[in-house]
Amino acid sequence: MPAKFVHKKTPKIGVLGAISRNASALVLGLKYFFEPNRFTLMYPREYIVLDKRYRGFIVLNKNKCIGCESCARVCPTGAMKMIKIEVPDPKNPGKKKIAKYPTINHQRCVYCGFCVDICPTEALYHVPVHDVVYFNLADMIQDLESFQKEPVSPAAAEGAIPVKYVFDPERGLVKVRVKEGEKK
Amino acid sequence: MAYLSVWTLTERVISIVFWGIVKLIFWPPIYQFVIIPGLAAAMVVVISIIWFERKAAARVQMRYGPWEVSPRLAGYLQLFADLIRYSFQEIIIPRTVDLMPFLTSPLFALLLSILPLAVIPVSPVKWTWPLTPSAMRYSVLIAAALTTLSPIFIVAMGWASNNRFATIGSMRETFLITAYELSAVIGLFSVVATVHSFDFTKVVAFQGGGKWLGLINPLALLATFIATLISTSAFPFEISDAENEIVAGPFTEYSGLMYGINMGSAYIKRWAMSILIALAFLGGWRPYIPPPNAGYVTGYLIPSLIVTAKAVIVMALMSFLRAVYGRYRIDQALHVSWKYVFALAIAGFGLAILEGYIL
Repeated sequence: MPAKFVHKKTPKIGVLGAISRNASALVLGLKYFFEPNRFTLMYPREYIVLDKRYRGFIVLNKNKCIGCESCARVCPTGAMKMIKIEVPDPKNPGKKKIAKYPTINHQRCVYCGFCVDICPTEALYHVPVHDVVYFNLADMIQDLESFQKEPVSPAAAEGAIPVKYVFDPERGLVKVRVKEGEKK
Repeated sequence: MAYLSVWTLTERVISIVFWGIVKLIFWPPIYQFVIIPGLAAAMVVVISIIWFERKAAARVQMRYGPWEVSPRLAGYLQLFADLIRYSFQEIIIPRTVDLMPFLTSPLFALLLSILPLAVIPVSPVKWTWPLTPSAMRYSVLIAAALTTLSPIFIVAMGWASNNRFATIGSMRETFLITAYELSAVIGLFSVVATVHSFDFTKVVAFQGGGKWLGLINPLALLATFIATLISTSAFPFEISDAENEIVAGPFTEYSGLMYGINMGSAYIKRWAMSILIALAFLGGWRPYIPPPNAGYVTGYLIPSLIVTAKAVIVMALMSFLRAVYGRYRIDQALHVSWKYVFALAIAGFGLAILEGYIL
């Protein structure tokens, strides 16, 4: 059955309806003009306290890593690469063995979190930080040492005000300042 | 003796130069066209109003607006930064334009939109009138006629640009001119029907004692207000230079300072129309009556500042609408202007005739 053409018309509101709607729009505008509810994030002076589960930068806990290569295999962009390094062998004291550890290239990483999900020993984890800045591209390729450091948000390091967006039933979305104790 | 005469001579020269400068400043053609309602005041008011427009729209739309440039002045210097940027930008003239109309019509549009300010009185004192008293009898007529001249140059700009967006923009402008012109002129002339005079000074004198024509004839005021919004492409009717439909309408091919002039001339026309509304409907300088034998300050500066303050309030109201309204389509705007605003203007004129008969 072919689709049927329906001519839809906008409802007629008449002159009085138009006047009342224009007046109510102006009144609403004036209400917001005198009591503004602004939630622009003034970024370098304020920063959002992100949720614990936020998919931010990925950090390696080297002690838990078993070198299974699952993260490097699942990585959709090829950002995760395994490197071989010599470590002391716990079974034969005094000798060394070759172990594999992952490193990350932040030029390629899309922060999908597949590596964190697939890691059997939870050696990889997300930190709720997303605003780290690199001054050249070479810095974005992490080695094993820098991969284990938890990055710090530069805004937070410079003493920006932590804020959070919460839903208020009357005013809608509002920006609230987070106190030191609540941060976790 | 010689010392004394030299001293008195320098004193006399200084006093002649000083009073000469004061006389030049308060010479009505200079004062009216260049200083207080004219170019200098228009510049300051336009910059402040654009700032107010951006801040008010930002407050209503849950943003901050310009802030980062000067946080203590709430971003006021951002507008000066924009002005400097416009004036140092390269002016690109495409090869395909019609050169003379392309270059001259922005200047004519700017000049003609500010020209009504050169024929209106801003004070009841006779020596401050920019026209002779016999010509002043027709000042409402002359001012209304001069406000209708500038749109033709906007159409000329679009045609000279030889660009499809500019052509569409100037076509929209022609539609809107035919739609608002009649309502604006009829709305403004309803004042004449009440006062029985084309003289602005008599119109203002009629409004003494709180008997403002805007209060006793709100229909004509509303019609003139909406027609001014349409004529200066203020927000619900910002159709001829709609940014997200046709790049910048008739101003598409302009760049640098030429674009700045085009953008400013709409605001300056709004300023001139606000001055006319303040004089015709809001009592002009009226709460203040200059003393007899009034000097430069009491006779000229204070009344012109009162008119300016009223016009600034009218203009701020017009700018606030940006925060609330979206943009009408061209057919909706024509529908509104022919079906409602024109009827409103006619009703206001009828009311004005009735009031002229009674009062």
